[in-house]
Amino acid sequence: MKLTSLNRSLALLVFASVVAAACAAPPPAAQQPAQQPAQQQEAAQQPAEQLPPGWKAGIPKNPPDRKGKKLVIRDVPKLIGIGYFAATTKGMEEAARELGNIDFKTDAPTEAKIEKQIEFIDNFITQGVDVILFAANDPVAIAPVLKKALDQGIIVVGYDADAQEDARQFFVNQATFEAIGQALIEDMVSQVGPDAEVAIVTSSLTAPNQNRWIEEMKKYAAAKYPNLKFVVTLPSEEDQQLAFKATQDIMKTYPNVKGVFGLSSVAFPGAADAVKQAGKCGQIAVVGLSTPNQMRPFVKEGCVKSVILWNPIDLGYAAVYAARAIADGELKPGATSLKAGRLGELKVNGSEILLGPPFIFNKDNIDNFDF
Amino acid sequence: MATSTTRWATPARRSGVTLQQEGVIAAAILGLTVVVSLANPDFFNTTNLLDIVVNTAYIAVAAAGMTMVIVSGNIDISVGSMLGVCATIAGELARNGAPVPLAFAVAVLAGSVMGAVNGILVAYARIPAIVVTLGMLSILRGGLILVTQGRWIESLPEAFFFSQRSTLGIPNPVWVMLIVVGLVWLFMKYHRWGRAIYAVGGNAEAARLAGINPQHVQFFVFVVNGVLVGLAAVLYASRFTAIQSNAGQGFELAVISGTVVGGVSILGGTGSVIGALLGSLLISQIGTAAIFLKVSPFWLQAVQGGLILLTVLIDVLRRRRFA
Repeated sequence: MKLTSLNRSLALLVFASVVAAACAAPPPAAQQPAQQPAQQQEAAQQPAEQLPPGWKAGIPKNPPDRKGKKLVIRDVPKLIGIGYFAATTKGMEEAARELGNIDFKTDAPTEAKIEKQIEFIDNFITQGVDVILFAANDPVAIAPVLKKALDQGIIVVGYDADAQEDARQFFVNQATFEAIGQALIEDMVSQVGPDAEVAIVTSSLTAPNQNRWIEEMKKYAAAKYPNLKFVVTLPSEEDQQLAFKATQDIMKTYPNVKGVFGLSSVAFPGAADAVKQAGKCGQIAVVGLSTPNQMRPFVKEGCVKSVILWNPIDLGYAAVYAARAIADGELKPGATSLKAGRLGELKVNGSEILLGPPFIFNKDNIDNFDF
Repeated sequence: MATSTTRWATPARRSGVTLQQEGVIAAAILGLTVVVSLANPDFFNTTNLLDIVVNTAYIAVAAAGMTMVIVSGNIDISVGSMLGVCATIAGELARNGAPVPLAFAVAVLAGSVMGAVNGILVAYARIPAIVVTLGMLSILRGGLILVTQGRWIESLPEAFFFSQRSTLGIPNPVWVMLIVVGLVWLFMKYHRWGRAIYAVGGNAEAARLAGINPQHVQFFVFVVNGVLVGLAAVLYASRFTAIQSNAGQGFELAVISGTVVGGVSILGGTGSVIGALLGSLLISQIGTAAIFLKVSPFWLQAVQGGLILLTVLIDVLRRRRFA
C-alpha cells in the first residue's frame, strides 16, 4: 500500500469513528419529535426490516431473496496494481472459494481517483450484481453512487476505507484505536519488560490518529503496566530525517530509555535506523506501526522484532463472509457477531464489523506480504 | 596561470562586514553550547556535537548553492523536490545494479539539468524566480509521487551508504560539507564570476554597465545550485537504510532559513556561504538543545523560531549601530 494511502485510510478510519460516535449520541430531546416522522417514513419503506434504534447505516431497497443462492460479488478497491489491495483480493478469493457458489471479481481503476471508482461502481449497478464491496477513495464523493446501488437492492459492504455511514450497510473495520494501542504496549513490554522507560516518536503532534493511539497506549499501560514510564513524545512530521534525529536525541537525552515507539510509516523506519546506526540493536527495542515493505530490511536484520498493523488478506476474507451472511439474512441490523470462517466469530458493533486484534508481522511471515 | 590576475579579484572591502555577521552567529553557537552543556553535561560530548554537524551537512551543502542564488537576487524554492528526485535517481540506479559512483554522478548531473531549466526560465525567459521554482516544486514532486507510487527504495548495495562511513575518523558528510563550503567561499570571494554574483544581486543595471551579463550570471548560479542540491541528495540518500518516497519535503525551508539566519540578505547582494553554514548549524543545534533541555515538544518550534528571530535581531541592531 502506498504510504499516502495508508495515511489516507487511517484518516478515513478516524473519520468513520467520528461519524459513528456522532451518530451514536442520542439526539437532543427537542429534536426528537421532528425526527420521528422521517424515521417512520423510512420504516414504511422497509416493511420487512425491523431496524434497531440508532441504526443509521443504509439498507438495500426490496432486495430479492438471495438466501443460499449464487452471489455475484464485485470488489472495487481504491485502485488495483498495488500490493495492499492485491492482498485484500487474495483474501476475498479465498473466502469465495471456501463458501462456493460465488462469482467473485475485483475490478477498479489503476489510480486512486474517485471519479473513476464511481464509474466502475456505476457499471456494476447496471450489470445488476448482487454485492458491491468497496474501499472508498473519498467518503463523501462515493456516497451517491453507493446509495444508488442500495436503492436497486444491491448489498453494499465497505472495508479499509469507509464511506458515509448511510451509503453502505456494513463496514469491516480493520483496527480500532484501542486494539492498536494495546498491541503496541504488549509488544513493547514483551521486549523490554514492564519496568522500563520508553519514548514515542509520532508523526506530528496534532495528528489525530497518532494522538488517539497514544491516548489508548497510555491508558492501557497505566492500568496494566504502571511502571512503564513514558519520558517524551517527539514529532517527526512525516520526515525520515527528523524521525532519525529525534531518536538520536532521545537516546542521548534519556540514556535509560529501553524502547522507542515509531507511530507512523515514516517515524518507525526513521527510529529503527537511528537505533541501528548507533549500534544499539537489541539494547533498545523499536516497536511501531508501519507496512511490511517499509520495515522489511530492519526486520530481516533483527533490529526490529515485529511490525504491528492489520492483515489485509484477513480484511478481504471477512468482507466476503459478511456479504454472504447479509445475503443469507444472518447478518442484519442489530447483529452482534459474524461467523467468518477461519477467523472465527467477529464482533459486530452497530454497523461495523471488527476484524479483531492487529496482525503482527515478523521475520517468519513478513515475506508473505508485499505492501 | 596568466589569466589568474584577471579572474581572481581582490575582495571588496564590505566583505569585512559579512565576517562580523558570521561572528554573531558563531558566538550564538558557542554561547548556546556552553549554556546547554551547563544544564545538561551530556550535550557537550563529541558524539552529540558530531551528530549535529552530520545532520546539518546535507542542509549546509544545499545552503551553499542557495547562498549564491539569493545573493544574485533570486530564490529557489524547488530544492526540496529536486533533492527528492536526485535521491530517488541515485537509489534506483544503485538498486538496479549500476556502480555506486555512477549512480551518484547521475544524481548530481540530474540536479544540474533541473537547475539549468530553472536558470533558463529565470534568466532568459525573465520569469520571476519564485514563480519558476514554485512551478518546478510542484511538477517535480508530482512526478516523484507518480514514479515511486509511494514505495521506498530499499535493498541498496552496501557500497551505497557513503554517508554512514567515515574517513580519517570524520564522517564523510562532514568532509563533503567542508570542501563544498570552502570552495564556494573561495569562489565567491575571489573569483571574477563569484564577485559578479554580488554585483548582479546588488544592482543588475550597474553590473551590466560594468560589462557583466546578468543573465549569464543568473543562469550559472541556478546550474551550480542544482549541482549542489544533487550532491546534498547523495549525502541524504546514502544516510539511511531506505530512501523515503517523498524525500526532501520541506527541505527548502530548512535551507532558506539557514541561509537567511546566516546573514545572507534576502534582497540580494550581500552575505557569505560561511554565514549560511553557521546559520544552518545554529538552527539544527537549537532543535537538539531544546530536547536536551527537556522543553515540551509542543514548544519546540516556537523556541526554534524565537531563537532564530533573536539572532537576526541582534545582527540587525549591531549593523544599525555601526552603520
